[in-house]
Amino acid sequence: MRTGTLLCALLSALGYGAGWPVHKACSGPNLQMLYQSCDPLQDFGFSVDHCSKELPSNLKIRFGLILRQDIKELFLDLALFTKGTSVFNFSYPVCEDDQPKFSFCGRRKGEQIYYAGPISISGFQIPQGDYQVLLQMYNENQAPVACANATVIAT
Amino acid sequence: MPSNVLGFLFAVLLSASYQIISSLDQKCTEKEVNKTYNCENLGLREIPDTLPNTVEFLEFGFNLLPAIQNTTFSRIINLVFLDLTRCQINWIHEDTFQSHLQLDTIVLTGNPLIFMAETSLNGPRSLRHLFLIQTGISNLEFIPIQNLKSLESLYLGSNYISSMKFPPNFPTQNLKVLELQNNAIHYLSREDMGALRQASNLSLDFSGNDITGIEPGAFYSKNFQSLKFGGTLNVSVILNGLLNSTIQSLWLGTFQDLDNQDITPAMLEGLCRMHVHSLNLQNHYFSDVSLTMFQCFTGLQELDLTYTHLSVLPSGIAGMTLLKKLVLNSNHFHQLCQISAASFPFLTDLFIKGNLEKLDLGVGCLEKLEHLEKLDLSHSQVEASECCNLQLKTLPHLQNLNLSYNQPLGLQHQAFKECQHLQNLDLSFTQLRVDSSQSPFQNLQFLQVLNLSHCVLDTSNQNLLAGITNLQYLNLEGNHFSDGNIPKANLFQTLSTLKTLVLSLCELLSIDEQAFQHLEKLSYVDLSHNSLTSSSINALGHLKGLYLNLAANNMDIIPWHVLPILSQQSTINLSLNPLDCTCTNIHFITWYKENLKHVVNLEKTVCANPPALRGMKVSDVELACGMTTVGILFLFVFLLLFIIGLGFLVKFLLRWKYQHI
Repeated sequence: MRTGTLLCALLSALGYGAGWPVHKACSGPNLQMLYQSCDPLQDFGFSVDHCSKELPSNLKIRFGLILRQDIKELFLDLALFTKGTSVFNFSYPVCEDDQPKFSFCGRRKGEQIYYAGPISISGFQIPQGDYQVLLQMYNENQAPVACANATVIAT
Repeated sequence: MPSNVLGFLFAVLLSASYQIISSLDQKCTEKEVNKTYNCENLGLREIPDTLPNTVEFLEFGFNLLPAIQNTTFSRIINLVFLDLTRCQINWIHEDTFQSHLQLDTIVLTGNPLIFMAETSLNGPRSLRHLFLIQTGISNLEFIPIQNLKSLESLYLGSNYISSMKFPPNFPTQNLKVLELQNNAIHYLSREDMGALRQASNLSLDFSGNDITGIEPGAFYSKNFQSLKFGGTLNVSVILNGLLNSTIQSLWLGTFQDLDNQDITPAMLEGLCRMHVHSLNLQNHYFSDVSLTMFQCFTGLQELDLTYTHLSVLPSGIAGMTLLKKLVLNSNHFHQLCQISAASFPFLTDLFIKGNLEKLDLGVGCLEKLEHLEKLDLSHSQVEASECCNLQLKTLPHLQNLNLSYNQPLGLQHQAFKECQHLQNLDLSFTQLRVDSSQSPFQNLQFLQVLNLSHCVLDTSNQNLLAGITNLQYLNLEGNHFSDGNIPKANLFQTLSTLKTLVLSLCELLSIDEQAFQHLEKLSYVDLSHNSLTSSSINALGHLKGLYLNLAANNMDIIPWHVLPILSQQSTINLSLNPLDCTCTNIHFITWYKENLKHVVNLEKTVCANPPALRGMKVSDVELACGMTTVGILFLFVFLLLFIIGLGFLVKFLLRWKYQHI
């Protein structure tokens, strides 16, 4: 119960409110990633295979969700905060009409998708600290596809 | 402490369940009166009574309809489009759509279908589009064929289909689109393809099927609009299987998440024995980029080599004289000359977008492309201190040039002299350095569209836009004017043909009354996201019928003498302004409510003052200003009483005075 209490206290301190449950994307000796879906309509599943402060350049992830929009075009927006201040913003085209980068590009509304595979990032080491990450995915009509509030704790 | 936590969790659970219950009370959204409705995500178990009988387009996805039958939709017989995505449908019983004669499209994506009755799709006179994506189909016999004669597109992706065996009598004469991606089809036989012989100009998608074999002759002498085999491991299996076919567009690209074999020249030999107009090979690795790689590309009109890890194309490729469009996006060229443009002398469209290295434009690298009409060099880290006459030497037919999202470019006087036929020039988000009083766009007499948004321009240079005699669209978003003011003498003076002007996000404080006096043909002006006050509206006094965007400015009181200028425009956006809703602004508020037909974004056109009305829509404001009849009556009575009182007082004073003499 004590660890549960601690976790709850931690999560409420991190600003997780009511809504979908908070999931653990990965947990390693020096890194922990927690996330909560901020799409009011649905939850989604996500995990990272390699959980360490030293992120490899070809990080393997797994995710599963139901599409509520067509994703002929899909964009990812990522905002990173630490101690409440914004430190990093980033937008990435995942699927474009003239360049569908991943095999799931072009799937349609209502399809359930499961992806297990690499995402190419330039490998880097996460400095010690607590980070809040807001992740948003949307399609060509700005319609939301997925939304996540995540916390990364590097010790 | 633990009980507190439990209480907290309980509260969380309660609020979550409350959310779900409350969502059941929500109504469908009306998108078009009596015609188009969206009822998605409402947990509905039937068609709600509130929906009118006349509905034609119904989005009903993510609800709960385990079985649908002839009573389910019987009230709404005018349906043309019905989306039943993820409604947990197991059963589609007989005669479900019996009375829906107009029904054109049925979407059943993501339903765990157990059985569809033989007559379940009967009724519609011409059912043209059927979506059966991810419905668990493993056998094409599952689809009831009685009423599919008019079918134009059939979507069968993400099922368990392992064989293309269509049942006999499956009507394919009108079929134009057949999607079978992400199934388990490994082999295509002559018999499979024979079932499609009645279809002409078909677009077929086999992406995400690991096709390991095609029976020789399966595609013999057939015509296709498009064939897609995305993510195929072995390209040669496909190319050899397509022997002697004619294909408008062949998509053989792959993806970053799949393991791929390197492409060798031998794997592409099959291309020599078929007719392909447009070929896409995105994301493949070429083990050997020599001349032999291109020997079977000679029949191509369009070639897309996006993200193919190329850093050079060999010089001396011969025979690619038909090629009109070449896409080399997201590759690793260091210099533009490395694409050996002379090999493609009849190219009209060239795309080198998102180059992954800093792209040096060199000198005259494209000068052999005298037919080039469209050139996209955006997002490629291009940098040049003197641009662009040497770099774009001899491109007499160039009409579209995109240099947006690059590093700083220094533009000379007449910087585009070598491409005088430019119609559309996009330089947005590329910092431009222009020496004072120079005119880089001089002599571009065919230029119609110029995008200079976020170019860090020196807007005090009055000659900057000189010499563009036919410009219709100008975007200057995100550029700044000195002191936030557009003066009477400015860079727009020569643009008398301009129809659209975008000046949003320019940090403008004011516009001189005569700043736009030479712009007489304007029909669209975007001044949003500045700090303009109502006095700037005077600059538009000579214009009529404008689409005028004044959103997110500093308009508070809009005086009566400005209102005629607004009245003569066709559409006005005044949202996100700190509008005053006191009696000082009564003329504007009255005008606004009388002109609701001409204003847009009513929801966000709200009051900022007085505090009591803050956030209220201006269209809802009711103000009582000036004298009402009752007020006048009161004043009259008050004055009368006052005069009578005064009379009595004077009388009393006089009497008192005389009594004391």
